[in-house]
Amino acid sequence: MKNYTTMLAGVALCAAAGVAQAQSDFPQHPIEMTILFGGSAQTVGQVLAEEMSKLSSQPVVAVSRPGGGGAVGYSYAQATEANGYNIVWNSNSISTVYYQGNLPFDYKAFTPIARVGVEVPVVAVRSNSGWNTLEALAAGAKQRGTPLRVGVSGLGSFTHLVSAALFNQLGVPVVYVPYGEGRAPAELLAGRVDVAIQWPSQFQSHVRNGTLTLVCSTGIEKIEAEGAVPTCAEAGAKGMNITMWRGLVAPAGTPPEVVEKLEETAKQAVESAAFKKTVVNLGFTPAYLPAQEFGELIAKDDAVISDLMSKLGMNNR
Amino acid sequence: MDAFITASVLAFQPQSLLALVIGSLFGLAFGCIPGLTFTMALALILPLTFTLDPMMAIAMLISTYIGGASGGTVAAILIGVPGTPSSAATVSDGHALAKSGKASLAIAMATISSTLGGIFSLVVMVFSVKFLAEVALVFGPAEIFALVVFGMAMICGLAEQSLVRGLIGGVIGLMVMTIGQDPIDGVSRLTFGNVQLLQGVDLLVAMIGLFAVPQVVDALATHRNGTAVESKSVKVELPSLGYILGFRWNLLRSSLLGTVIGAIPGTSGTVAAFIAYAQEKRLARNPERWGKGEMGGVVAPETANNAVTGGAMIPMLGLGIPGDPATALILGGLLVHGIQPGPLLFIEQPETVYSIYFFFGLSYVLVTLTMLFGVKVFVQALKLPHHLLAVAIMVLCVVGSYSLRNSMFDIGAMVVVGLIGYLLQKARVPLTPILLGLVLGPIMERELRTAMIMSGDNATILLSPISLFFFGLSLLVVVLQVVGMVRAQRQKQAVSA
Repeated sequence: MKNYTTMLAGVALCAAAGVAQAQSDFPQHPIEMTILFGGSAQTVGQVLAEEMSKLSSQPVVAVSRPGGGGAVGYSYAQATEANGYNIVWNSNSISTVYYQGNLPFDYKAFTPIARVGVEVPVVAVRSNSGWNTLEALAAGAKQRGTPLRVGVSGLGSFTHLVSAALFNQLGVPVVYVPYGEGRAPAELLAGRVDVAIQWPSQFQSHVRNGTLTLVCSTGIEKIEAEGAVPTCAEAGAKGMNITMWRGLVAPAGTPPEVVEKLEETAKQAVESAAFKKTVVNLGFTPAYLPAQEFGELIAKDDAVISDLMSKLGMNNR
Repeated sequence: MDAFITASVLAFQPQSLLALVIGSLFGLAFGCIPGLTFTMALALILPLTFTLDPMMAIAMLISTYIGGASGGTVAAILIGVPGTPSSAATVSDGHALAKSGKASLAIAMATISSTLGGIFSLVVMVFSVKFLAEVALVFGPAEIFALVVFGMAMICGLAEQSLVRGLIGGVIGLMVMTIGQDPIDGVSRLTFGNVQLLQGVDLLVAMIGLFAVPQVVDALATHRNGTAVESKSVKVELPSLGYILGFRWNLLRSSLLGTVIGAIPGTSGTVAAFIAYAQEKRLARNPERWGKGEMGGVVAPETANNAVTGGAMIPMLGLGIPGDPATALILGGLLVHGIQPGPLLFIEQPETVYSIYFFFGLSYVLVTLTMLFGVKVFVQALKLPHHLLAVAIMVLCVVGSYSLRNSMFDIGAMVVVGLIGYLLQKARVPLTPILLGLVLGPIMERELRTAMIMSGDNATILLSPISLFFFGLSLLVVVLQVVGMVRAQRQKQAVSA
């Protein structure tokens, strides 16, 4: 009997040690980072994975799982074991795709690791339109009598929600014209839409060329861009503060020690000079936030997005 | 001129040339293997370029793009499975030529046409990039929709024996493309609540299924021994200059068409290749022999799909607007190095622009030489026993389907589409129109709906001068098609009576 107890105790001890061992030795094999989108989001994710690999004993591999506005990648990662070996390069899309009704779980299915950075949408018009301030734009649009045509990335996309928040507040009647990624600036140049809301990097060369003007940026902090762009809040849309964040999350239930380790690696990667130098060229602003604060931000933005989508009649929850 | 000299010095540096060789071969390999595409090659090579110096990075990206765009034809001709969607139009005549023992000639001609098309588009790009970038802007949703309708009308002529069967195929293709997330509203369609189905049936996955699975099933079901091609002689034969010049008008027309279609954002090399094929078939003296091994049917699509490479670079360089996923990746690679394509690039960094041109031209030279020397090796694949080749194709197709989006769903989709394709082929429904439905359907839907949203559901937006021009052409093509068919029927009846 005594032998039996000792044995049991021994087994339990070994098991406990094994668990502790596994966690302190994390990672023991390569970590997979699921990428949900193409374009610059994918490129920034690849740069991040490279930097994290340099800092970790095991490589971090960026694996692309696009489709369904992020739903496919989120579903894949959510179904994996919560051990830290499957992380997601996520964004506000977790909220948009959930409220669209295309995902059976919401942001609570993931535990935050760290925010990596932000992308701030900007409002652009043709320089020769005469609508070079937000006030002039709003006044001109109301006076014209026909709805303003605003180019966004897709209905229910983040740029659409941002536009809706802005123009609802200004009381301007709007028609949203959805284009795939990257085409809205061309449509703006050609005059088929009056306004385009996209990422600053897409407009940069045309702003410097004098053909397009940036009216305002939608975050509360000023962005670094050609020709001192005011924030929309300063320009007349009081309290306007919506930015797209990107960061890392793991399936809920991932052990805290493992999350901590990933958080530390992410922090070092984001703050490295190499990461900064590369991603700034892609229009991405590195802005590290630790897990705790990142989690609060996700929850706060989720409520905002839910509210906005309800107003647009796109909330299917 | 200074910038030109600086660029040539930079472009001919040994490390840039090394990057060029690596990129070309890597792209070529991805292009050759069915299921792997140049978009995938670019996505894989992109992180490698982050740490290179800018010139090497540009060389590697451009050469991967061009290698990949040229390689797709090899598999299309040899085994009848296109290496990339843009080579799908080459399959019918190219593979027929291979079966009659002219594989090496067909590959060589395809390579030469690709290069001529690519160089033509480069020249157009060099001389008129700013002008054409502005012209491309005129093509909005309504105009692109009209262009695609014209493409559909042209392609009706490709329904080989029966127009009805061709239309059935086209509609099946259009229907398959509606599965998944709606591109405009983000609503899920025909997914039955399944998250996996949200990603829809990818064009490439469907293409692999349609072309490869029926072949494999056939090979295994018939238990036929022997090699893939009955002809025992696999001798290497290269075209003479006179032979190439015999196709000069075909080459010129297809180059022009490819460059123009490439410059319009939102279209693709696949569309250009099919329209070029249909156009040349229409103009040919012996259209009835097309699809049975006419060299013109290899020259036209291969010229056009490579002319697209230069065309697609026009809005990318001139406006910073990528026309397709491949040029979007190249744009990302340039941005990482602080190179911002757009009107100012030509003023502020002319040496970068010139070096892009150099790399573009050099890649084509390199790819052509590699392919012409490689023909000898490629054609050996024809000596493989039929059933072994079938197994090899199947493995490549599964790997290709999976690696596209790292998704098991895509393997399942490939097999299902393939088996349905096999049954349809038994029912004598041609596969080409199905593929066309798959290629053109999403563009048509997206552009039409965007145009309607933009105009507040006012259909007059579809009547812009450019749209009307293309609608008119479409009508003309359909009328000619019907008249031709009726006449052929009468002749047949007269002969039998």
